[in-house]
Amino acid sequence: MNASSEATQGSYRENGAAPSALSAQNVTKRFPGVIANLLVNFDVARGEVHTLLGENGAGKSTLASILSGLYRPDEGSVLRNGKEVRLSSPRSGLSHGIAMVHQHFRLVDRFTVAENVVLGSKGLSFVLQPKDIEAKVSEVSEKFGLPLDPRAVVGELSAGQRQRVEIVKALYHGAEVLLLDEPTALLAPPEVVKLFETVRAMTSAGKSVVFVSHKLGEVVDISDRITVMRDGKVTGSVKRGEANASRLAELMVGREITLAPRRGTSNSGDVLLSVSQVHLSHDQSQNQSNQPNQPNILSDINLRVRSGEILGIAGVSGNGQRDLAEVISGLRQPNQGAVTVCGLPTVGLGARATRQAGLAYVPEDRLGTGLAPSLSIVDNLLLTRDRGFLVDRKSALIEAQEFITKLEIKTPGPLTPTRKLSGGNAQKVLLARELFSTEDLSRVLIVCSPTRGLDVGAVESVHALLDQARKNGKAILLISEDLDEVMTLADRVLVLYRGSIVLEAKGVAEDFERVGRAMAGISA
Amino acid sequence: MNSNVWLLTFADAISIATTLILASLGAMITERSGVINLGVEGYLLMGAVTGFVVADSTGQLWLALGSSIVVGAAMALVHATLTVTLRANQIVSGLAMVIFGTGLSQFIGKPIEGKSRPVVIDKIDFGVLSDLPIIGPVIFGHDPITYATWLLALVISLYLHRTRPGLILRATGDAPATVDAQGVSVKRIRYVHTVVGGALMGLGGGWYMFARAAAWNQSATTNGIGWIALALVVFASWRPLRAIAGAVLFGFCLQVPFTLQGQQINILPSEIVSMFPYLMTLVVLVALSTPRARRLLGAPKMLGQPFVRDER
Amino acid sequence: MIIGKARIQLEARLTAPRWLVVVVPVFSVLFALVVGGVFLLITGHPPIRTYRDLLDNGYTSFYGITDTLGLATPLICTGLAAAFAFRMNLYNIGQEGQLYLGMVGGAWAGIALAPHLNQFIAVPVVLVTGALFGAVWVLVPALLRARMGTSEIVSTLLLNYVALNLINYFIYGSRGFFRDPSTPFPQGRPISESARFDSFGTTNTYPTLIISIILAVFLFWFVRRSNYGYETSVFADSPQTARYAGMNSIWLTSSVLLFSGALAGLGGAMYVVGPAGKVDPGLLQTGLGYAGIVVAALARYNFVAVIITAVLFAGLRVGGSALQASSDPVPIAIAVVLQGAVLLFALGGEIFRRNRVVITRVAQNVKVSV
Repeated sequence: MNASSEATQGSYRENGAAPSALSAQNVTKRFPGVIANLLVNFDVARGEVHTLLGENGAGKSTLASILSGLYRPDEGSVLRNGKEVRLSSPRSGLSHGIAMVHQHFRLVDRFTVAENVVLGSKGLSFVLQPKDIEAKVSEVSEKFGLPLDPRAVVGELSAGQRQRVEIVKALYHGAEVLLLDEPTALLAPPEVVKLFETVRAMTSAGKSVVFVSHKLGEVVDISDRITVMRDGKVTGSVKRGEANASRLAELMVGREITLAPRRGTSNSGDVLLSVSQVHLSHDQSQNQSNQPNQPNILSDINLRVRSGEILGIAGVSGNGQRDLAEVISGLRQPNQGAVTVCGLPTVGLGARATRQAGLAYVPEDRLGTGLAPSLSIVDNLLLTRDRGFLVDRKSALIEAQEFITKLEIKTPGPLTPTRKLSGGNAQKVLLARELFSTEDLSRVLIVCSPTRGLDVGAVESVHALLDQARKNGKAILLISEDLDEVMTLADRVLVLYRGSIVLEAKGVAEDFERVGRAMAGISA
Repeated sequence: MNSNVWLLTFADAISIATTLILASLGAMITERSGVINLGVEGYLLMGAVTGFVVADSTGQLWLALGSSIVVGAAMALVHATLTVTLRANQIVSGLAMVIFGTGLSQFIGKPIEGKSRPVVIDKIDFGVLSDLPIIGPVIFGHDPITYATWLLALVISLYLHRTRPGLILRATGDAPATVDAQGVSVKRIRYVHTVVGGALMGLGGGWYMFARAAAWNQSATTNGIGWIALALVVFASWRPLRAIAGAVLFGFCLQVPFTLQGQQINILPSEIVSMFPYLMTLVVLVALSTPRARRLLGAPKMLGQPFVRDER
Repeated sequence: MIIGKARIQLEARLTAPRWLVVVVPVFSVLFALVVGGVFLLITGHPPIRTYRDLLDNGYTSFYGITDTLGLATPLICTGLAAAFAFRMNLYNIGQEGQLYLGMVGGAWAGIALAPHLNQFIAVPVVLVTGALFGAVWVLVPALLRARMGTSEIVSTLLLNYVALNLINYFIYGSRGFFRDPSTPFPQGRPISESARFDSFGTTNTYPTLIISIILAVFLFWFVRRSNYGYETSVFADSPQTARYAGMNSIWLTSSVLLFSGALAGLGGAMYVVGPAGKVDPGLLQTGLGYAGIVVAALARYNFVAVIITAVLFAGLRVGGSALQASSDPVPIAIAVVLQGAVLLFALGGEIFRRNRVVITRVAQNVKVSV
């Protein structure tokens, strides 16, 4: 640990008398296969905004969950106003005045604002007094600059308003410490401004706010302190005024990157995948209220992938990645724009036709989308093939055996249901199917988050597979939130932020910082 | 054509609506908690036959009705155990109850088949009011339980929309995860409302036995009223007061064949006329299931889904 | 759940041990027999002897087993109909009505078409017509479900009652096409002899039984081997995956329901070709459509197992009806009670297939201050 973390540790003693409103001491939390938090120290004082900054998977949400009572630490302790407390549930957290507002709201769409706010109240009278409740809700919302109509139906509110409901809910129940998990993820810029005003109002009233975020640029202004986490550990902490975007980015992602010496391939292969001016706007009739309140899901996407090339799309999740993959693979139709696969325009043709044109798609959701979980490996291999009237399992069985051997897939056998496979092995099945069919029809491959949740060995195998496919002349579009992975594998990198391509870079170490900042929304 | 006859038919419709209202209120509160109980037919039959048997041996009407309630609650308890705790398929469980209830009621009812009911629920005599020209038979010509049922619909409506437990109930059907996050037991809510719902269904069957059916005859007893009650829940958009209107409407359709027969009006064969309630229900269901309608009216969102809490 | 010092928890399994597949149905039947026995005792019938009579009348005597097989013939069809739809989470509860319409369709073909056809074609035509009528009867609910997502449960159900009234109309309410013109007594018009099968000897078993069995085996093979069967398996497992693979959910949903209706209708047509020979309101009393659901559920939607469970339940019915007519009459309803009870226990037993029971010791509670 370096000097910065000492500063973190010392700060709640710094002011002398007042113990911090909420703090974590040497907290460690493990989940199967991963250490989410390791000896983390963190605290927030009364009236302070302290931001937890880090990439996806850095451990910040876990820490916040521990501080609010959702999880229990394996080691270490949580202190409230200097006294140790055992938080057994979010409810007990609330009884200590600690409330967490999650990224995915816990609201009943059909209810009004007032009904949602009051839902969990103890001591509420048997007969609801709607006027009283509405009055009190209005009181709270006005006090903290959170304009809300208590009678409005939550399902019809925008994301920003729904978040306000969650915050009012916490304040209504007397929360003194609020933990906000990725609060700006679903907000448009003007709503972000309003949120920050609210936060200032709350801290002026003596409340403490913990911001959990990856969006470096946004939090710099609002935070009194910023603590950066990576891989479950605290890497550093800065105070207001000391915050420097580059320094923070380095703390977030920077490390010695040993890029495996790889290709010497040229990029002169044919363009196999071409996407131009693709726009995808919100589908009004579906009323997905958790969509970011931005004009388009995808705006003016242009990209080209050549044979023998890996084009990486970097970005934090929720910026349109899955939508992009679904549009290119034909599962969804864009409002505007063209997609060309091996020379064939595919917009409007559907998934099957796009596949036949030569495009293979490996979705992020392995067992829920890419594979049929209860069906065997053999049956799953047939999923994206042409099958004819009768299904021929014999050749698929042989193929399955081959894959199991060649790719070292650990499984009792080819007839095992895929849900019994570990994440890594399921991914191998998926990749094998899309990359190496005997007919070898696919020449373009879209892969999304291929190594999410996999252990190191599996990650290596998957990367090797992708590299080999590239050598075989396939054009690969790699969409991943794991910046390391993108920078290691890709020849070129595009950054996707709020549905637009904001940066193009090469996959070399020098560009790492630039890409990281672009992912966080900081323009170069 | 005697207009008085139609008036009487209407009054009759209101009367028969009682069973429909009770059964659909029972199904409604169960569904509001997120559980589907398709077994209504079985509950009605078991409520009817149990009531009959108890009345036969004790001669006490209220004891008989009480037993109908208990039987309905007991059956619902089995359903709740299977679906909430054991997470079995709710549809199949409900159907199993229909079959079980149909068979068991027939089995128990064999000795009393054809026997006329030992006790009768009398209509309340309101004196002068009952003799008023139109309002008399329609509003003042019913028995205590019918009036109690209307009151019950009102009470449940108030419960749902004006009380705290009602708020939580509604939240449970839509977003059990949210309720669970508040530390409230989703299982308990589902159990309670399923059992109470079953009790109401049983009562509906018992009442029918003593207020309308002349004797125990299994196949003629309910005639699919249980299924209509389920459709009625949708028709009423899961709101108790609307169920009353719908029940009277359906009740009217059910009565019309008899009136036509009695008046010897034979425009259409009686069997065809008997189809009307079911066809009409079908049409209503179709109209209610356009996407627009569904968004506006809306079933409890998590209806039929077992609630499994994510492990921490 | 905590009992004493032991915490009992259910933990999801990855695979179900093989022996469970047999044990759960067997125990369901046993427990159901116990429950039924209790009711028998209460009403004053000795359970053991009753069950023995049931067994004898339903299964072990010659006329018993042949009656059972005869009743199983249409029951296999409705069981297949239910299994085919239910495994896709499509709840076609309208088999009862589709069965009746199959009877009507078969009878129509048998009266109107069969006299002009030679013997070998007549029966298949009757059967196919019955199947078509059954499919038509489920068409509206199927389209509603496929295109608008309307629940097929109540819609198929309601049509049962419409169908019931339709049959009553044809036989009791009118003197039309389906009525036997030769007698004032309300009964159905017999179909042409060429479209009928004779039973085996003096039994009540008809060659249509063979068709049922072959159909079950064929469906088993078809779902396994055909592309259509494959697509329905994927769709039943994960609709998301099916969409990803480019499968058409509207087509799959509506075709499965239509097929299911056709199977039920086929059962009705078999009834006409076999025992009935005409539109017979007696079919309305047997509840074969609902029984098909129980048969399918107990067979865990496996088409070959449906044959076994159908015979099992048919035997219960046959034995039960014999009991009713015996010297110490037991209401036939006991068979229905047993049916329902078996299904309820099987449902409960399912939990053991999906989960394992884990019993751990509860440690001494640490004092917590919250």
